[in-house]
Amino acid sequence: MNAPIAGSRRPAPEALASVLGELSSRFGERFVVNATIREQHGRGEGLADLAAPDAVVFPETSDEVATIVKACAAARVPVIPFGIGTSLEGHVAAIHGGVCVDLSRMAKVLEINADDLDCRVQAGVSREQLNAELKGTGLFFPIDPGANATIGGMAATRASGTNAVRYGTMRENVLGLTVVTADGRIITTGGRARKSAAGYDLTRLFVGSEGTLGVITEIRLKLYGVPEAISAAVAQFADLESAVRAVIVAMQMSIPVARIELLDALQMDACIRYSKLDGYEIKPTLFFEFHGTDAGVAEQAGLMQQIVADHGGGSFRWATATEERTRLWKARHNAYYAALALKPGCFGFSTDACVPISRLAQCVMETRADVESTGLTCPIVGHVGDGNFHLLVLFDPKDAAERARAEGLAERVSLRAIRLGGTCTGEHGVGVHKLGALVAEHGEAVDYLRAIKRAFDPLGIMNPGKTVPE
Amino acid sequence: MTHDPGSARTTPSDAAIDAIRDAVVRAGEARTPLRIVGGGTKDFYGESLEGRPLDLRGVAGIVDYDPTELVIVARAGTPIDEVERTMAAAGQMLAFEPPRFAPGGTLGGAVAAGLSGPRRPYAGAVRDLVLGAKIVDGRGRHLAFGGRVMKNVAGFDLSRLMCGAMGTLGVVTEVSLKCLPRPKAEETRVWELSSDEAIRRVNEWGGQPLPISATCWHHGTLAVRFSGAASAVASAVGRLGGAPVPHADAFWESVRDHVHTFFHAAMRGAHPLWRLSVKSTAPHADLGGEQLIEWGGALRWLAATPRTDVAKLRAWAVAQGGHATMFRADELLAGSFHPLPPVIGALHRRLKAAFDPHTILNPGRTGWYA
Repeated sequence: MNAPIAGSRRPAPEALASVLGELSSRFGERFVVNATIREQHGRGEGLADLAAPDAVVFPETSDEVATIVKACAAARVPVIPFGIGTSLEGHVAAIHGGVCVDLSRMAKVLEINADDLDCRVQAGVSREQLNAELKGTGLFFPIDPGANATIGGMAATRASGTNAVRYGTMRENVLGLTVVTADGRIITTGGRARKSAAGYDLTRLFVGSEGTLGVITEIRLKLYGVPEAISAAVAQFADLESAVRAVIVAMQMSIPVARIELLDALQMDACIRYSKLDGYEIKPTLFFEFHGTDAGVAEQAGLMQQIVADHGGGSFRWATATEERTRLWKARHNAYYAALALKPGCFGFSTDACVPISRLAQCVMETRADVESTGLTCPIVGHVGDGNFHLLVLFDPKDAAERARAEGLAERVSLRAIRLGGTCTGEHGVGVHKLGALVAEHGEAVDYLRAIKRAFDPLGIMNPGKTVPE
Repeated sequence: MTHDPGSARTTPSDAAIDAIRDAVVRAGEARTPLRIVGGGTKDFYGESLEGRPLDLRGVAGIVDYDPTELVIVARAGTPIDEVERTMAAAGQMLAFEPPRFAPGGTLGGAVAAGLSGPRRPYAGAVRDLVLGAKIVDGRGRHLAFGGRVMKNVAGFDLSRLMCGAMGTLGVVTEVSLKCLPRPKAEETRVWELSSDEAIRRVNEWGGQPLPISATCWHHGTLAVRFSGAASAVASAVGRLGGAPVPHADAFWESVRDHVHTFFHAAMRGAHPLWRLSVKSTAPHADLGGEQLIEWGGALRWLAATPRTDVAKLRAWAVAQGGHATMFRADELLAGSFHPLPPVIGALHRRLKAAFDPHTILNPGRTGWYA
């Protein structure tokens, strides 16, 4: 079980040259070795994780992806799937070189089956594009990670977002996949039916595999009816703990809130300034959104209002007009940029702890105290309805000691979450940055990550160095 | 190689887990198959039962259940009834409504079989609710996958892989499951409709914000259950009409546990009961036997007759985006499960080899890697 994973070194120069030559003649202008383009493909939105691939290829079909993977497999050259480059944990860094497969030209919505509430899209379709194409059908796709990520990337990282409490994550919303396997064959998993394939649940194994088991080229997704009524509200609290406790009570009463987002006082300050939110105080704040029928929304909101009042939350500020709602959620989505603006010139990265809901208050409060002991500026945002929160750790890139303090803090957040029965990553994934914490979290079961990697990718060419500790 | 994740060695179950690990190690050395047994209530499901019985009923008990946590952790041999009773006392439920078929079924068996009941399309399948699992692998190692958090992207989704694997990748010893509150209100309404009209309506309603929690069409009658907040249920029932039914709870239990008259009749016949998983809008097709339709049209049960043509049945299921399983017959038969395409079959064999290198765990039950 403990054999090393193959392919964890740079390919032999002559093998690489031969593959690049073959792909160049096959793909013409869609094969790129320009340094700027390669560097753009060597990083996500995470921290300083640039590692440029040797070439970038822009396939237009699953067959073309299979051609690329076959050529790379024959020469043991790494293959790094790339959507739009918004991952946070170094998922797309070509740390052992190789060929980046940019799926942005596979951006067609292939089917929308309004009656069956499903659709099939190519991997390069972005979530905003999908929702734009669904306009007029009365349907929408609810998973909304902060960035306008591609559906392929979201499936590969098992993404979630602010709607996860009500609609689940990519895990619950992918019905089936088309995947190019590590030996360049095309398979489809799942299908249109609810439980639609005999055998092991390969769909859920590929969802969240971060490009290490194959290249996802098409995705079949569940869709949802646009709610008859949507209303949003904002509540502000005297202290962070009361805000977190209000969320815990709401979850335990199972109020079907679509979104509950926490911003601590520092983050609220940043958002008020960055997104010009008027009339709010610099206090721990919860954003709510309720989906359903008119009667259902009114009932949920009424219950929530009571819980907020019980926890000393101030006035419940309503945002029923679409425009105001959009402005609020845009401010939430821009929280990261608002936080960066708190300390111009600083870099930032995000932790991703997720703990059982009953441990959430303890985890957040211990983390807050930890932040204070470091002297760093770290606002907190959280999808607290499912126990997940992010610390945006800001540091001066020119100050090595500060960077070390920032990294130490992040590691302690991961270990704290694991100690409290949770995980180091609720939604951002493992990539390269969480490999160490993964060993702490899984113990001996890490062997099975390696075993699965070897079963699906015996040559170790698929996005090597990610997800699976070597 | 003897790591026992996260528990103090004090209970009878710990000794029972050690015994299971020893049995697996010995079976591996001798290359003799093991047949994993819970309550034995689903012995009819799958292809062949071979090997020495490995009884999980000693690995029992609820390990951790704090209702405010919305998670229950229980050992595999815990009876489903015990889990459901405990949760009901706290106003919660196993939302996937595991079919029980007979008394004595265990939680581990429900997870390993991967079967879900009437609420499944609306509240999630067993695999959607499993947050973590512990297994004994084919080498006798006791390992923990996943945990107790609602979201987790730390590596491959191994706990879900155990759902529906029929025990072929590991002996499930413990699972943690997401709990959902029992709905405040529940109402069932029925309509006299043809199968095609019933399929059309349930799909139309499925796209609307209605609190539907189960559907069942059989013999010209469509039954729909609504669950949720009292106001939402009342408003849905008020809008859609339909006739109330007496003993609705008993009706849904009969569908869930296959004691409904349709299943009785199917069981009495000499021909198999088929389970067809298809896209929900698939039109009704004459497949040579009576049907019962659940899950908003996505699940079709077929009581086969001499008129049923298996090749035609399988082709129809594939054309409708799904697959067909011979669910229950007088004897266990090879070919119960839908055949796997070659590349997918190869991946199954490699997964099996990784988890169970000596092919000792329920080896003949599925035919996926023969």
